[in-house]
Amino acid sequence: MIQIKDLNFAYPRQQALFKNLSMHLEAGSITGLLGKNGAGKTSLLKLLAGQLHTQSGVVSVNDHNPRKREVSMLNNVFFVAEEFYFPAITINDYMEIFGPLYPKFDRSLLQTILSEFDLHPLSNLNSLSYGQKKKYLIAFALATRCQLLFLDEPTNGLDIPSKSVFRKILAGSLDENQLVIISTHQVKDVENLIDKIIILDNGKVIFQQTIAEISQKVCFVSSPAADAEGVIYSEVIPGGYRLMMPNSHSETEVDIELLFNAITRGKKLS
Amino acid sequence: MMLFKQSLRINKRLIGISLSAVAGSFFIALILFQLASQFRNWSERDCQITFEWFFFMLGIVYCSFAFPAFRTKEKTMAYLMLPVSISEKFTFEILTRIIVFILFMPLMFWLVANLEGFIVHHFVPDLINYKLSFGTVLTVFTHNNTTGWAIFGYIQIVLLAFIVAFTGASYFSKAPLMKTIFTLSLIQVGFILFIYLLYKGFNMKEVSFSIERIFFIKSEAEAVIFFALSLLVVNMSLLAIAWFSLKEKEA
Repeated sequence: MIQIKDLNFAYPRQQALFKNLSMHLEAGSITGLLGKNGAGKTSLLKLLAGQLHTQSGVVSVNDHNPRKREVSMLNNVFFVAEEFYFPAITINDYMEIFGPLYPKFDRSLLQTILSEFDLHPLSNLNSLSYGQKKKYLIAFALATRCQLLFLDEPTNGLDIPSKSVFRKILAGSLDENQLVIISTHQVKDVENLIDKIIILDNGKVIFQQTIAEISQKVCFVSSPAADAEGVIYSEVIPGGYRLMMPNSHSETEVDIELLFNAITRGKKLS
Repeated sequence: MMLFKQSLRINKRLIGISLSAVAGSFFIALILFQLASQFRNWSERDCQITFEWFFFMLGIVYCSFAFPAFRTKEKTMAYLMLPVSISEKFTFEILTRIIVFILFMPLMFWLVANLEGFIVHHFVPDLINYKLSFGTVLTVFTHNNTTGWAIFGYIQIVLLAFIVAFTGASYFSKAPLMKTIFTLSLIQVGFILFIYLLYKGFNMKEVSFSIERIFFIKSEAEAVIFFALSLLVVNMSLLAIAWFSLKEKEA
């Protein structure tokens, strides 16, 4: 579905952001794209969506070169950007005008999500708050049923109840032909939602594994001391330590934040 | 067609307000100019000049607002992700910015001028020439020329003015009209400097030119054809620049 090979990219008059970056992603997963500030998460999503152009390398999205921005690619890709624009029309009008551009657009799904998000179809998009607009954009993105959904910091601006609604609807409204890539710093918001993690650092993919693979290899436990046998990485938490250890007993929930810190500090999962 | 429907539904209010404002400007400007000519001296030719002035000024400004999505980063992103082909997006902009304007403005001016003339004549009988024929309005494209190539050349001049602004709008994100005018000025200064250096450097004072024949042009009629075709090439080249700048646009 997504194939990147030896991608090189730099913004004008800046150092290279990606150097020979390669990656392969197939449908049927919700992938978390993680990285420090400036690691290039948003830029990578823009490159995949054809909004930025590579200097060299191959980028293929559903067998299309995103740079060409062909209709057959664009009507199967939806990008929920962090900063976005809506015309001054009602939610209903937006659905009527832009929905038909997506062949698999599901009007009833949109209406369901709108009611879950507590958005009124007759509200004018320009009169909504940033968080409400973001909720509408996410709802519309899911209703397009595009094969590829790029969500850039989707939970930014969402209130606490909306974040849990977001997790619920995202988990419940996708099918196995879809691939969702979520770029975020708010890892707690997407825990239990993503099933694959990609970590970008210094212009390269330094980690790419499924949650199942991670759970098989390591476990995450809290302990009063940090010197337990075989500890791969530890961090101080109130009342003790959070440890990442080789998995010798049972699988635990993946602590994405701890995992991210461990990987970006050069630790390996055994 | 989808883009037309979208644009109409999204911008219906703006379109309505803009059309009313333009019609109002025509109306007020005509009254002011007629007042300045003390009504009695107002002629159809004055009306035609007024139209030409408005036609070019409004057209250039309107075309410089082409590709409105490129003015902000968020709008650009939304526009680039719209599942519509580049050729459709480009055609839509040409149609709405240049073709519709060229077809609609003369008609609108003709209607407003006749309405204004009728009303003013009712109150000020001194205004004798208050009717405007549609043919007079259309002389903006012909300048009373009758030969096909001359008319074609004038149409290319009209298009050039609009296409320059259109191309500038596709290329520059911020303040496209100002930047287009600045770029044109630079090109013009560069051209004048080049001619000056050519004149001085090669001592062109000593070279005599034959007005009878320049390159392969042997007559005035051929000169008109050459001029018209050259403008066509310039217009097509500018549109090609606009096309590539849309195609290669990045968010």
